[in-house]
Amino acid sequence: MLLFALLLAAVGGAVGLYFYNQKMPSMASQKAEMTLSAAALYEAFEADEAAANARYLGKIVAVEGQVREVSTLPDGTIKVVLDTGKDFGVLCEFDPNTKHQRTSFEPGERLTLKGECAGLNFDVLLARCALVE
Amino acid sequence: MKKVSLTLSVAFLLLNAAYAQKFMTRDARISFLSETPLEKIEAINKSGSAVLDAESGRMEWKVLIKNFIFEKKLMQEHFNENYMESNKYPNAVFKGEIVNVKDINLSKDGSYNVLAKGKMTIHGVERDIEVPGKITVSGGKLNVVSDFKVACADYNISIPSVVRDNIAKEIAVHVEATLTPLTRG
Repeated sequence: MLLFALLLAAVGGAVGLYFYNQKMPSMASQKAEMTLSAAALYEAFEADEAAANARYLGKIVAVEGQVREVSTLPDGTIKVVLDTGKDFGVLCEFDPNTKHQRTSFEPGERLTLKGECAGLNFDVLLARCALVE
Repeated sequence: MKKVSLTLSVAFLLLNAAYAQKFMTRDARISFLSETPLEKIEAINKSGSAVLDAESGRMEWKVLIKNFIFEKKLMQEHFNENYMESNKYPNAVFKGEIVNVKDINLSKDGSYNVLAKGKMTIHGVERDIEVPGKITVSGGKLNVVSDFKVACADYNISIPSVVRDNIAKEIAVHVEATLTPLTRG
């Protein structure tokens, strides 16, 4: 009986430790909950930020659009801005936990990127993005 | 045609002069650290925004909570769901001014200790704060560095007693940004 309790405690502890130490999953392995154009996503935030937050915040969204701007931070983080036809765009910050197949993008090309919608900060920001093949 | 383009370039020059005192970034790095003997928790956000009017010293910083990157999944979930409630309060904002902005000489490279005063809003709670920082003018750009502490209790962020010893009462925040002149309206 005691042995059983000890075993249970050990297994419980190991499971707990496993969850505690679990790393952030790669965005490449996650499924987008919805797909829309960069213009549609931006327009939703421009029209009514609170309503757009309620609808998109925290959701994994796949966004399709034309690349307006590409930049790489000194630490290697890639940021791609998708054009919305407006002053601001959809800014996709690439996921540090994904081994990206492509790391170089050209302004003008059409892409679909998925990431977690983090809200509006000039651009609409998608966090932890990965390319949708 | 030539006349039109000349008029346009003059207009652009004037426009640039008008905006020359405004600086901006959308790549501000804002990180924080909570350190106790039991646990070290850190996260970084690489897409903070900042706009600074170097004439008046007025500035505004904004960061989206869901874009803080943690190493561990559980920490990121607890941070967003339990502590910051980022679905309800998606951003943190500092709106204020550099008190001693007149000390800064934009036309010459140099380093200045500055003091910012204003309102910080985190977790939906707005508070008056003072934050020290350092601004380095380099080649027409402004490098901004600032370190300050944020007390969880000040912003109604309650820490459950089970993890009270795991999370610091005061979180150390580090800000690093390069602001470039804003050249278009």
